[in-house]
Amino acid sequence: MIQVENLQHTFLIGKKGKEKHVPVLKGVNFEVKKGEIVAIVGKSGSGKSTLLQILAGFMKSEQGSIKVNGMETAHLTEAESAAFRLQQFGFIFQNFQLMPGLTAFENIELPLKLQGIRKAMRTEKVKKLMDKVGLTDVADHYPNELSGGQQQRVSIARALITNPPILLADEPTGSLDSETEQDILLLIQSLNRELGLTFVIITHDEEVATIAHRRFRMYDGELVKEEA
Amino acid sequence: MLFKDQLDFVTQHIKKNKLRVFMTVLAATMGCAFLIVLASVGFGLQDSIRNEILSDEKVTKIQVHGNDQFTEEQINEIKNIEHVETILETITVNASAHSFFEDRDTDSELYVANMHNFEQVNGKLEKGKYPTKPNEIIVGYHFAQSLVNDAERKIIEEKNKKAEAEGTFYNGSEEGYKDSLIGKEIELALMPRIDGAKETKKTKYTIVGVMKKPSYDWMINNSIYMDTEQKPMLATTLAATDVKEDDMFYSEFNIFADSMENVKPILDKLKDKGYSVFSVTEQLDQMNVFFLVLKIGLIFVGTIAVLIASIGIFNTMTMAVTERTREIGVLKAIGASPKLIQRLFLMESTFIGIIGTLIAVAISYVISFVANATLPLILEAATGEDAFSKNDIIFSLIPWQLVLIASAISIGVAMISGYRPARKATKIDVIQALRQEL
Ligand SMILES: Nc1ncnc2c1ncn2[C@@H]1O[C@H](COP(=O)(O)OP(=O)(O)OP(=O)(O)O)[C@@H](O)[C@H]1O
Ligand SMILES: [Mg+2]
Repeated sequence: MIQVENLQHTFLIGKKGKEKHVPVLKGVNFEVKKGEIVAIVGKSGSGKSTLLQILAGFMKSEQGSIKVNGMETAHLTEAESAAFRLQQFGFIFQNFQLMPGLTAFENIELPLKLQGIRKAMRTEKVKKLMDKVGLTDVADHYPNELSGGQQQRVSIARALITNPPILLADEPTGSLDSETEQDILLLIQSLNRELGLTFVIITHDEEVATIAHRRFRMYDGELVKEEA
Repeated sequence: MLFKDQLDFVTQHIKKNKLRVFMTVLAATMGCAFLIVLASVGFGLQDSIRNEILSDEKVTKIQVHGNDQFTEEQINEIKNIEHVETILETITVNASAHSFFEDRDTDSELYVANMHNFEQVNGKLEKGKYPTKPNEIIVGYHFAQSLVNDAERKIIEEKNKKAEAEGTFYNGSEEGYKDSLIGKEIELALMPRIDGAKETKKTKYTIVGVMKKPSYDWMINNSIYMDTEQKPMLATTLAATDVKEDDMFYSEFNIFADSMENVKPILDKLKDKGYSVFSVTEQLDQMNVFFLVLKIGLIFVGTIAVLIASIGIFNTMTMAVTERTREIGVLKAIGASPKLIQRLFLMESTFIGIIGTLIAVAISYVISFVANATLPLILEAATGEDAFSKNDIIFSLIPWQLVLIASAISIGVAMISGYRPARKATKIDVIQALRQEL
């Protein structure tokens, strides 16, 4: 489903004229199979988020190849990359990234709007999904009227609404207490089992890593496979 | 994204910032209304002067300079030019026509013309019909009024003196013959305009028609018109008082086009053929060039106001983009194309431009209406002359072309000033935007 080969990325930091080259990814190779939950762990600052951002197309890598569903995505233009994301990926962020001006319902509906789907169809889809992830009661709440766990459920629902084959999550439980974390992990697990969705989850939390089928560690700019 | 959803998106954002958007729309409205009202003065004045020229003269008339006698051949040549309706020869009799009716009499001009052509050019009469038999004539609208007897002459003289003392002028409209002259017989003598000439003997004529009132209030027409068939007889009469044949008549030729649009091509053809011709439409052409320059100038000045308002739109849109950086980041992250984001923001600035323009157009029509209604009264009060209200001067006129031009400028400028902020929105870096705190 995802094949990454020799992915390299170097940041330029500091003032102009005195820039320092900071190589963050020095040749990452890994593969994710369909229906897998893959966890990527590693020290803070090791480059986990950077890897995910390049995977998602938020920024370009200098070198290397990324194949998603057999399609080379490393060299897509910004517009192509956006269209690709809308179809193939769902995103779950540590701080949820909900639209503050939209209700839970409208937040979940947003990707469908971007896809140009009609109102009646959208409403039906969103209602079904909210039911599934247990949000029906809070449909009309704005993000600031929701608990952290509820917000993360909304954000997961938003990621799922377009039926993308792959979900990318950066510290999905990083802002939640351990009880809520457990809820979300169970939700992810059940979605994986029932719908066969593929998850790439970045975490430094051992708890999260336990639901993964396979686990990689970011170390010195490379990704190393770990035993479960 | 469906267009309707895009609209929803834009209106939602506008609702969230009602006051800011309102102030921006207000600025856009003021700019656009200023532009329209300013330019409307140019349009209004042009219209006033155009009407002035057109009401003065028959617009389809082409005057021929120099009183060269046209030959039959030339007349036929001109008649054969496309769109020439008539060529009218008006012969001025070089004598004062002295008319007698009951105890009244008056002096006036006497014209001879082919009554068929004359009718074609002048159209309907005020009363009666055009002459068909010998000794039938038609007279100007004021002919009856000018027929006065000795008693009335004294009254008019007194009224004149009185008016002069007040610094005004009396036109004699209260005296004269009050009944209809149609079918009445008058006696006509001619007084040649040469030294020592004597009045000719009287001839009887029947008035069969009265011409329409001249286009201006101050114009007095008490002339007498008869058919060209009478010309030999007039010549005989004049010859009896020793007037030389060359001095009896002066001819004036006027060519008439079938419509105003066809005047220009006919003029060109006649000039090519070497005729010295002139038409008021040429005067109109020159005037139109002048007013075109004036209107462009006014629109240009008005556009400056629109440009100032556009600074407000630019600010509002830049703020809107900055405020929503994180939201734009989220939109891009979940797959909104840069094009869509640009369009959403362009729609917002365009919306401001359109609303501003719509309100401005409505306000401009109101201002224009009020100005046209009140300015003549104010000027009248200030100057003490009633010339402003009488002559129907239009101070402000807003034709649809002006609305179109002003709308295009205002909405165009709004779109342009929203373009940079919209571009800025598309350039927002997803990662940086998502890092922003809520
Ligand atoms: N935009 C940037 N410009 C320059 N350097 C950057 C940029 N983003 C990240 N870095 C650097 O790249 C390295 C990797 O950052 P990254 O965010 O990928 O780490 P991470 O593994 O996700 O850490 P954490 O677990 O704390 O989230 C860090 O050393 C960071 O300083
Ligand atoms: Mg990180």
